[in-house]
Amino acid sequence: MYPSFSPNHVQTQFLFLTGKGGVGKTSTACATAVALADSGKKVLLISTDPASNLQDVFGIELTSIPRAVPTVANLYVSNIDPEASAKAYRESVIGPYRDIFPEVVVATMEEQLSGACTVEIAAFDEFTGFLTNREIGNLYDHIIFDTAPTGHTLRLLQLPMAWNGFLEESTHGASCLGPLSGLVDKKELYSSAVAALSDLTKTTLILVTRPDVSAILEADRASKELKEIGIKNQMLIINGLLQHYNEEDEVSSAFYHRQRDALKQIPETLKETTMYSLPYVSYSLTGVENLRNLFKLYDEVPTTDVYMENQSMNLPGLKEVINDFSGNQTKLIFTMGKGGVGKTTVASAIAVGLVEKGHRVHLTTTDPAAHLDYQFQSDHLNQNLTISSINPKVEVEKYKAEVLAKSSENLDEAGFAYLKEDLESPCTEEIAVFQAFAEVVAKSENEIVVIDTAPTGHTLLLLDASESYSKEIERSTGNVPESAKKLLPQIRNPKETAVAIVTLAEATPVLEASRLQDDLRRASINPQWWVINQSLSATNTNDHILKGKAMAEKEWIQEVKDNKAEKCAIIPWLYEEKVGYDKLKDYIK
Amino acid sequence: MNKVEIFDPAMCCSTGVCGPSVDPELTRVASAVYSLEKKGFNITRYQLTNDPDKFAKNKEIHRILMEKGPDALPVVLVNDQVVKVGSYPANEEFAEWFEVKAEELNEKPKSGLSINLNQL
Repeated sequence: MYPSFSPNHVQTQFLFLTGKGGVGKTSTACATAVALADSGKKVLLISTDPASNLQDVFGIELTSIPRAVPTVANLYVSNIDPEASAKAYRESVIGPYRDIFPEVVVATMEEQLSGACTVEIAAFDEFTGFLTNREIGNLYDHIIFDTAPTGHTLRLLQLPMAWNGFLEESTHGASCLGPLSGLVDKKELYSSAVAALSDLTKTTLILVTRPDVSAILEADRASKELKEIGIKNQMLIINGLLQHYNEEDEVSSAFYHRQRDALKQIPETLKETTMYSLPYVSYSLTGVENLRNLFKLYDEVPTTDVYMENQSMNLPGLKEVINDFSGNQTKLIFTMGKGGVGKTTVASAIAVGLVEKGHRVHLTTTDPAAHLDYQFQSDHLNQNLTISSINPKVEVEKYKAEVLAKSSENLDEAGFAYLKEDLESPCTEEIAVFQAFAEVVAKSENEIVVIDTAPTGHTLLLLDASESYSKEIERSTGNVPESAKKLLPQIRNPKETAVAIVTLAEATPVLEASRLQDDLRRASINPQWWVINQSLSATNTNDHILKGKAMAEKEWIQEVKDNKAEKCAIIPWLYEEKVGYDKLKDYIK
Repeated sequence: MNKVEIFDPAMCCSTGVCGPSVDPELTRVASAVYSLEKKGFNITRYQLTNDPDKFAKNKEIHRILMEKGPDALPVVLVNDQVVKVGSYPANEEFAEWFEVKAEELNEKPKSGLSINLNQL
């Protein structure tokens, strides 16, 4: 049904991989690079993997300057870190003024340059060098990037407003491109980079997904968005597809069937793309030999490791988390994490657990309403539990309409288009959602509020800044809503508010969760709990392949326990989907 | 002719569209400044993160920042004298400084270059 992906399918010089965090973009890129190099092609692999485990994969120190890999002829690797580039850029601007301005002034400058957009633009800036430099282009048959620019970045660069210097006049005071001044000098360069991206004969976009509904939907979204902007040469790789299962093992067969069910939900639009698959493998893709094995389609490799008995890490379950919240009389609970780690389920289970302990609870989620109804099969609701949902799309549209109405009268068509694109920024959604749940919290009385999302540190610092800003400037007509203002001090108070970070026991999800935590700490919020969800090592599977994976989880569980989390809990991979109030109680048994 | 300089605060998202609150005041000021520039008047805006040097080298601005912190911005200078701290001039004030009619300050900015993917 899904032919195996093979490097022979690669026809173009440039190859970009895109997909949700944790789907295996970097591993797929590495394996493809090694295979192409083995077939005699000269290959440059450019990774943006900030975990820099590429250094372990290839056994050499990596920098942004391409280096030859000693164990693979014809393969060169370069590692760039957009976060570091953005940081370096930030420091180059601010550094000279640290001693000249008071600390508070420097802090406002830093925050201006700390948004997600600065990092995105910095990454694009790095790619540009490789895409447009003829000398580099002539050296290699293939240049593989393990990530791709987002539609938001590409659309911004296409807009006329980005280029005419009008930016500096602060049309509407803010811009995603604003933080990178000096952009204008690069118009030619960026323009040819964008041209190379949309040339079918030069660039292939590989959408990477897992056989998992949320990852598939994300791939579909990225596919549509990038197609619209002209990147039409696309293919889809379903990574980690379990090839067969062990009928006697409950976990193994449930795992297999859940994957197959997810594949049935591939949207029609995405089905038009050429689809390939790569097998679920028990080994970690961290050595050149294992990378080679991936395309030989071995799902297991002979190993000398003796499977250690599943020694427990002595981590508590979700029950302990709920007891903690209940005992501390926490009023406001956020579950936070990247998409697909199970924030909503964990939030729902926490809500149910607290109701079972006799509390009145309001659960609000940003998941589509249909899913919430499904989760609770609403007729079985306990009277102490109320639920509501916030639809981010609706909130964002509401917010955008408000902004455009307020600001558009002074703008011409181009200015208006620019303003609209700025509103596509990830920050916009965060702010809009924050305002919506501030409303929910303001309305609640004598109940615990559980929310399946949390604001980022950037959002909180901005809200903080704008609050003091509007206090100072009476003339300012932009206002932070009353409910949002009230929520700010409450969120900062650890006696009232708790944040639980939800993650999976894998490299990328742990790294992403750790970034979320750092970002929140910037805004002086300390997540109390980390919840490791869907852990295979917490199950009793005897299936060889899954057991291999369970072993690989240990490193990350240890990392979370020792270096990341204040307190840490673990939830096993459950072979039955927990739907409905009574089933959710299973999480707290 | 009068010389007007506006020293803006750091303004990523904190006051703008992708920020928590939108300030239409900023669009008004941008249009006014644009109109005045086009008429050839001596008016300049500096933004803390884009032009930190201007803030550091101007003694008045530096003093205000040291004493009052970032909340004192924007600061407006007319002929190097501080005339406004913490707020933008009204269109009437611009009109007075440059001896023009306030109504002339609503001109919409125009833009030029673009990259069009479909033409590449």
